[in-house]
Amino acid sequence: MTITRNCAGQTRRDCLQLGLTTLLGGGLATALRAAGRGSYGPQAKACILIWQDGGPSHYEMFDPKPNAPDEYRGEFQAIPTKIPGVQFSEHMKKLAAIADKLAIVRSIRHDQGNHGAGNHYMMTGAPTRIPVGCGAFVSFHPSLGSVTAHEKPAPDGLPSYFSLGGMTRSGGPNFLGARYAPFVVSEDPNGANFRVRDVALPAGLADARFEARSELRSEVDRFQRFLDKAAGDPASALDEHYEQAHMLMRSREAQEAFDIGRESDKVRETYGRNSFGQRLLLARRLVQAGVPFITINDGGWDHHRGIFGTLKKRLPDWDNSVAGLILDLERLGMLQDTLVVALGEFGRTPQVNKDGGRDHWSNAMSVLFAGGGCPGGQAIGSTDVKGFTAIERVLSPENFASTIYTKLGIDPDKILYGSNGRPAHIVANSMPIRELMERG
Amino acid sequence: MITYLRSLFIPAAALIALFPCSGTAAALEVFPPQVTLSGRDARQQLIVINPTDDLTRAATYRSDTPHIVAVSPAGIATPVRDGVGQITITHNGQSQTVKVTVQRSGQYRDVTFERDVQAILTRHNCNAGACHGKARGQNGFMLSLLGYDHGFDYAAIVEEARGRRVFASNPDYSLLLRKASGTVAHGGGRRLAPGHAQYAQLVRWIEAGCPRTPADAPRLERVTVYPTERILAPSTPQQLVVTAHYSDGTTEDVTHLAAFSSSESIYVSVDENGLAKTGPLPGEAAIMARFQHQFALCHVLVPMPGSVPDAEYAKLPRKNFIDEHVWAKLKRLGVTASEPATDHAFLRRAYLDVIGRLPSVEEARAFLDNRDPQKRDKLIDALLARPEYADFWANKWADLIRPNPYRAGIKAVYNLDAWLRESFRENKPYDRFAYELITATGSTFRDGPTVMHRDRREPEEITTMVSQLFLGVRLDCAKCHHHPFEIWSQDDFYSFAAFFDRVGHRGQGISAPISGGEEIIFLSQNRLRGGVKHPVSGKTMEPKPLLGQEQSVTIDQDPRRVLAEWMIAPNNPFFAKVMANRVWADLMGRGIVDPVDDLRATNPPSNGPLLDALAADFQKNKYDIKKLIRAICTSHVYGLSSIPNDRNLNDGRNYSRHYRQRLRAEIMLDAVSDVTGVPEPFAAMPPSSRSMELWTVRSQSVFLDSFGRPDPNQDPPCERTTDTTVVQALHLMNSPRLHGKVIDNAGRAAKLAESKKSNAEIVEELYLAAYSRRPKPDETAVCLRWFDRPNTTRRQAIEDLLWAFVNTPEFVFKD
Repeated sequence: MTITRNCAGQTRRDCLQLGLTTLLGGGLATALRAAGRGSYGPQAKACILIWQDGGPSHYEMFDPKPNAPDEYRGEFQAIPTKIPGVQFSEHMKKLAAIADKLAIVRSIRHDQGNHGAGNHYMMTGAPTRIPVGCGAFVSFHPSLGSVTAHEKPAPDGLPSYFSLGGMTRSGGPNFLGARYAPFVVSEDPNGANFRVRDVALPAGLADARFEARSELRSEVDRFQRFLDKAAGDPASALDEHYEQAHMLMRSREAQEAFDIGRESDKVRETYGRNSFGQRLLLARRLVQAGVPFITINDGGWDHHRGIFGTLKKRLPDWDNSVAGLILDLERLGMLQDTLVVALGEFGRTPQVNKDGGRDHWSNAMSVLFAGGGCPGGQAIGSTDVKGFTAIERVLSPENFASTIYTKLGIDPDKILYGSNGRPAHIVANSMPIRELMERG
Repeated sequence: MITYLRSLFIPAAALIALFPCSGTAAALEVFPPQVTLSGRDARQQLIVINPTDDLTRAATYRSDTPHIVAVSPAGIATPVRDGVGQITITHNGQSQTVKVTVQRSGQYRDVTFERDVQAILTRHNCNAGACHGKARGQNGFMLSLLGYDHGFDYAAIVEEARGRRVFASNPDYSLLLRKASGTVAHGGGRRLAPGHAQYAQLVRWIEAGCPRTPADAPRLERVTVYPTERILAPSTPQQLVVTAHYSDGTTEDVTHLAAFSSSESIYVSVDENGLAKTGPLPGEAAIMARFQHQFALCHVLVPMPGSVPDAEYAKLPRKNFIDEHVWAKLKRLGVTASEPATDHAFLRRAYLDVIGRLPSVEEARAFLDNRDPQKRDKLIDALLARPEYADFWANKWADLIRPNPYRAGIKAVYNLDAWLRESFRENKPYDRFAYELITATGSTFRDGPTVMHRDRREPEEITTMVSQLFLGVRLDCAKCHHHPFEIWSQDDFYSFAAFFDRVGHRGQGISAPISGGEEIIFLSQNRLRGGVKHPVSGKTMEPKPLLGQEQSVTIDQDPRRVLAEWMIAPNNPFFAKVMANRVWADLMGRGIVDPVDDLRATNPPSNGPLLDALAADFQKNKYDIKKLIRAICTSHVYGLSSIPNDRNLNDGRNYSRHYRQRLRAEIMLDAVSDVTGVPEPFAAMPPSSRSMELWTVRSQSVFLDSFGRPDPNQDPPCERTTDTTVVQALHLMNSPRLHGKVIDNAGRAAKLAESKKSNAEIVEELYLAAYSRRPKPDETAVCLRWFDRPNTTRRQAIEDLLWAFVNTPEFVFKD
């Protein structure tokens, strides 16, 4: 057996044994608290997960390497941020200006270098059980959103987990079942005729006619129900679902949440008048209505060629929208209990390839955290001077997932059972990222 | 050590005869009838029962020879001094005596690692999956799951952490004991207090220098539990006693070291001390007692209180062998069968079950008006001959083996799909079907079954699939560790995988997400990578079927054929049963074994004789799937109503009534299209295709996804969900697509509105289309009133009715 050692070659236990507890920085109390996962209370009511499918480059966003040779550094410059000594890449201007509200983790790494497996690992906190292909859309374990839906139901028939901009590769419920699948909104909220699927009447059907139809429905419904719970009548479950659906349709709060047109032009501008920005705004409205987990499926970050030209066009809007979301949440007093997270399945290769792109690289990636009780103004962990690999405070996808669950008040160590009775921990080796849980 | 004479367990039949005439007059039965206590820390739990009740806790125990043997109020006998003593057990004026022989009372039995320490660690969940047994251990201390790897665990305890886990000179200071006793902070809390007998055993083990169990020490051969079968009233207890049997003929009471679990804790729960308790509801469960890697079962049946006259069961119709077995089980439980289903319920059920679609208006009318007493059986025959049969049943198998098209390639997926449909069109015997899949060779572009081997490329990957699909044996767990609730070991897994170590792949392999190339699957002359290796011993494995002998395979022989022949041989214990159970579950709503592909001793069938009979019948009919379906669908049981009576209300496993099921995604979408009269267009399919004909999940459909069609991108891919959700309700109510079908100018509503039919005729047609029945007079009245509403056109009224029907449970469920 091998015992995991930290970079200094000592286990925590060795430190304790040698009486070197203070070396750990926070003293014994901190060490023990870090060991006991359950000791943090809930810090966030909701999580907005910005999923950059394809794997965004850490170099061109939050972990520039200005001192690395040209072939690693890339074309962009590093710029200072509100955090002394911490630089972002040049197109992260607005986020750099509010870096005091952000916590950037630069040292999450794993060993799944293809999209299918990387997506799965980061979005569920569990590696794939068998090797999977690069293009795979796979699920072996429930996603962050599905587990949250299972553990923290939203009020009034409102779905507890949304996926805006389509379904993500590994965002499914796996063994938790269809009830905990995301409510997918593929439609573009930036479009003039945007409507959320199925939560309101189809175009051309008047409210009065719907009400009349519902009345007719109850009149023609003569299906015998077995009222005794012991009979396990699935028709009774369906009744409940219809009741919830009606509640959702009648809930003014929920309907208003979907109606993005209620926002002023000024607010809509803050988020950027593009699909991504408006999805973030829709997400914020859903949080206001009580939805605990929203994923924004933000694809197209797989820049194997021409990365600099592409990102030069894309990053300013992205930066603008994400900064807009964070500032708007703050303005509304929601930032403290709304966790905003942005990441993809991995980072990108240090050396710029022959096509002017960067390839898949899971040895290093950067993850943005804001709000939800995350102490802002910090960069956690680091990569080496060329950005090859996380070297300081090396963290895992399990640490990442445990952090999100713990913040939402879900014990990541809890055991869930599949339909075949096979037990599974929500996170197999759970340990939230300390620096995100408490002010150091 | 303890030995006892073979118990005189009263057969179950005798218990039934006596039940429920409970009373004090019935004789006490004591287990074990004689006790031998050998060693200072020996113990024996006594069990006292009468035919109806467990009296272990109610009885009083007295040692007649307290200088030789002591007995606790809970009935645990412990040694005092060598000699022969006696315990008297009294309950309600009746008494029994038990002779107790005490030997070697002056000395403790040697405590050794494999035999004793592992059992203690397992008993206190130290090596459980939630604690140190999980894949990466807990806080640096890692044990093998439930102690399957003694060498690994011994090293972890005795050798690692610089030996701090055990201190021979001061055992109490050993980290192992300080953690376990909670003397120092322990995430798992206090597991074992100082002073506990097992704590003392661990101290003696450490003092003795942490000895391992000698290789020639008596081996654990089996574990038994007493009682093995009980019929109990609701909310009553039953203490169990677990006995370990060693290779030297000795036995030991290990109740205090065993782990217990129930297959259905709602009916019978069990606590960590082996005290089972029946719940408030009638039903049954198997209690598993596990010690080391052996387990034993106690079957507990909780009949309905009250009695049903035998004549009630005698008069039930017996159309074939299925009825006989189901009635026998219902009789044992005191549960009664529901009435036969109405004609229209049977009609709709049979169509949906056999060909996966609703009857048309004309078909429904013809069946309802038919006066032939044989019409139900004739309907089944007619349905089995319809072309939709093949698409529907092939679709079920596609759920199980259709690969992810992003991985295996779209053409290969199509090719496998075509083979599946062809197999069901020609009603290929199931043994041949399985044989062709397992032994496939050829091109993934021409030979459908090869695609399974393209998708599952490694012997380990195809092993889990083949064993689960065709044998109902889940070997996934055994890949990494001995299955805690099963008999399968890593040896079993890797020697099964060895049958696939010569599957050659030539051509373009997997290059997801397109994987467009052709691949040839062939019998390689060489073992791939030198053969399948055992991950612990590194030994190259020889092919060996489950429960069988190693097979010698010559170089010109495909090992897969040897495997397939073993599988389809008449004496294979799993093959016919698994398919019979699958088909039964599809038609009856629940498997006799549930989940359907998980056959094991610890997941017993709800009706073993029925499953055996179905499998035998299936074999006798040369694995003809249509004949199997026919046997089930023409039984009286299949035709029962879903409406419960007061003696089968909570029966969910014994088929005393039909169990309602939500229509599967494809059936549901096709039904909506049929009822509205507007077909659904699909990508990559010709116009007017039915969703039952789809061959890839890449034909997008929000409807099908909302209703839980399985996604082969998910693993396990076979999970098809049939629960109902809010999303489904919203979709049925508000989907613009569905709305479009209802108001379509070429749809049923428009056509009916323009027709010359009277409103009453229209209402009848809508009922026949949606519910396969005619409306009752009051229903017709409600609907006709709808046509008379102000500002409502005839077409709008029909549209409203269509919408309303599609949104009612009578439409959504198979009743």
